[in-house]
Amino acid sequence: MSNIILGNPGEKRFLMGNEAIARGAIEAGVQVATTYPGTPSSEIADTLAEVVEKTGVYMEYSTNEIVAVETAAGASICGARAMVSMKHVGLNVASDALVTLAYVGVRGGFVLVCCDDPYCWSSQNEQDNRYYALLANIPCLEPSKPQEAKDMLLNAFQISEKLELPVMMRLVTRVSHIRAPVILGSLADKRKTEHVRNPKRFVMVPANARCRHLVLLEKMGQAKEISEQSKFNSMYGRGKFGVITGGASFNYAMEALNMLNMDASVLKLGFINPLPEKTISDFLRKHAPILVVEELEPFLELQVKAVAKDWAPKVKIHGVLEGFTPRHGELSTRIVAEALCRIKGKPLKDYRISKVSHAEELSPRRPPSLCPGCPHMASIYAIKVAGGPKAIYPTDIGCYTLAYQPPQSIGDIVICMGSSAGISCGMSVAVDNPIISIVGDSTFFHASIPGVINAVYNKHRFVYAVLDNLTTAMTNFQPHPGTGVTGIGEITKRILIEDIAEACGVEFVKVVDPFDLKSALSTVREAIKHDGPSVVVFRRICAVLEIEEKRRKGEEVPKYQVDREKCNNCMACIKLLGCPPLVASGGQVSIDEALCVGCGVCAQVCPLGAIIKVGDKKV
Amino acid sequence: MKNTNVVACGVGGQGVLLATSILANTAMREGLDVLASEVHGMAQRGGSIVSHLRIGRELYSPLVTEGSADLILGFEPAEVLRALRFAKNRTWIVVNSRPIMPTTVSIGVSKYPAFEVIVKEYLRFSKFVVEVDAMKLALKAGSSLAQNIVMLGASAATGIYPMKNEALQSCIQELSPGKYLDVNLKAFEVGFHSVSSRKRM
Repeated sequence: MSNIILGNPGEKRFLMGNEAIARGAIEAGVQVATTYPGTPSSEIADTLAEVVEKTGVYMEYSTNEIVAVETAAGASICGARAMVSMKHVGLNVASDALVTLAYVGVRGGFVLVCCDDPYCWSSQNEQDNRYYALLANIPCLEPSKPQEAKDMLLNAFQISEKLELPVMMRLVTRVSHIRAPVILGSLADKRKTEHVRNPKRFVMVPANARCRHLVLLEKMGQAKEISEQSKFNSMYGRGKFGVITGGASFNYAMEALNMLNMDASVLKLGFINPLPEKTISDFLRKHAPILVVEELEPFLELQVKAVAKDWAPKVKIHGVLEGFTPRHGELSTRIVAEALCRIKGKPLKDYRISKVSHAEELSPRRPPSLCPGCPHMASIYAIKVAGGPKAIYPTDIGCYTLAYQPPQSIGDIVICMGSSAGISCGMSVAVDNPIISIVGDSTFFHASIPGVINAVYNKHRFVYAVLDNLTTAMTNFQPHPGTGVTGIGEITKRILIEDIAEACGVEFVKVVDPFDLKSALSTVREAIKHDGPSVVVFRRICAVLEIEEKRRKGEEVPKYQVDREKCNNCMACIKLLGCPPLVASGGQVSIDEALCVGCGVCAQVCPLGAIIKVGDKKV
Repeated sequence: MKNTNVVACGVGGQGVLLATSILANTAMREGLDVLASEVHGMAQRGGSIVSHLRIGRELYSPLVTEGSADLILGFEPAEVLRALRFAKNRTWIVVNSRPIMPTTVSIGVSKYPAFEVIVKEYLRFSKFVVEVDAMKLALKAGSSLAQNIVMLGASAATGIYPMKNEALQSCIQELSPGKYLDVNLKAFEVGFHSVSSRKRM
């Protein structure tokens, strides 16, 4: 894996979109790459983290997305090429910095790579971040394939330096996480860096901001000229019927046209902000009707219609607004084929394409779940037993979010990173129920500290349970400030969650080992009684990392089994803990040895002492 | 040349991604166009996994269109049910016969159908069904972890891939972690022979 993006110019590699971006960063001579991990963007920075030594790129996992943008901006303003990557919702966090960064502009090329997640494969919403490019008024490019992602990134740096503006690249899951052959290019030299003092440009007090807004508007006028000339806005196919599309949607549109053997001229828009108005108006004058194919919001459609109003008012333009494609979820070849058929007034079956049959209803639900031996299950057991059914359990973004499902069934609200603290503040004002709020370690550092300070300052009462598994597990085990290791494996000062809680003024702060269930339980009970905000840190390393470590050292992993003589199949282990190796079949509980990682927590949970280590007693 | 559409499905942790990666890299080296789509992040935590792979030329969509799969490579019987919407009436369905029970079954919110019921459902879509006891064969090759490579070998015996066995084997050789190299090569072989030695269905 580690060398997948290293290689000589001309070599062909089978790369994921995100890996192609990482390779592009090296080819562009990026000096500073920052991120906060989040699916579907994580592999961009993770891939770079593996090659820092060989490439000399500085890479960091910043505490959150706004810090990542600011760090990259600081480097860029000193002349370095900088790239910042994040998932779509990360840009909500970072938008404050981005919007005004567009006013001051940049010096070294600055590219923000943002990965949207239509269908919410691994996200809390499916917002369409193309609108951020409009909001911040910055250039935006959108690729369809890994090779194009790399090519565009190189171009994005050139545009950024030419206009001295931050440039955005928008990917979606089906570009970030698709693989295709990519040809490696040559590496650029690193830029010289120096700080140049210029407060009128960089200090955004109102008087300067008013001037810089005009500068931004003027530069975006130039950006429109670049968009008109861009090779990433291109034509495919032929025919009177016109399709306007871009990004992942282009792939489905082309496939659908091929499948139906339908003639159409396709305008593929890769430079999506500002849009090439002249190119679009030329296309509208020559083609009719028009189908705009895009995922989620009518971003292209509305702007194409605005162009049409002046240049081709009679052309029929169809898209999301009339429901030709849905405003939610991912597109597919089939959805686009249906839209094409609707325009032609000929049903899909006339093209001898069969209707889709399903057999899914027979298949048992298999949602993602916590892993065998996950310490969060033990923490949640203690929290639930102490809190009981009356308590309210706000939760947050991380692996523990998965525990909202049975059997753990814990989690009353999740909206965004770090929200558990603020939400709990408001709940504690509104109702008298005990509130036990759950957050993970990386999420705690990311965005919940102001919420904790708010709880102390404004005298709110709730238990803040910080589930510290010493990694950012959900997004592939990146380190964070509480681990004492940086993204490139250097040792650094370890920042302890309990120290922060105390510094915020929390008076009840305790650290427990979730595998010591008895003491974890009594600590949560004590915390509930505390008159004020309290913090309980449940600290134990992620089970996946622990098992990896044990296997590497060659340590034996014990297994547990059910003592048939003692077990009365009360299901307490499954219902209260719910570790995946615990299975019930025909009313009888057993432990799948292949899955068991030997944590022994279920043996503590069993009221009858019927779970024992394999080898301790003959069963 | 006709395009080859493969949908591989299973449960997070079964090695679905490595298996499709071997297929894709082999095809690329043979000069074919390849597109694949994977699942990462939340969906990998023990949940259902579907991975798409398309080999051929003039490929645009990284996803196989419903009703157009040439092969469903199933690592888990009930997961194949979810992927049947990609099947047409001559799709090869190569399936690992060993079920993995989801927690939803243990806590009684879902039912796991009997294997015969599942296979009957496959046959509604296509009669080209090949069952493989991948666990047994992987253990024969030396490790239960090699079930994914057994499945790869078994699927190669259908003749569906536009690549030669030798090309696949040399790619396995390159992509396998050192200590699993011999096991994986053996796993491919036993998987292949377990199917090629059967009567044509």
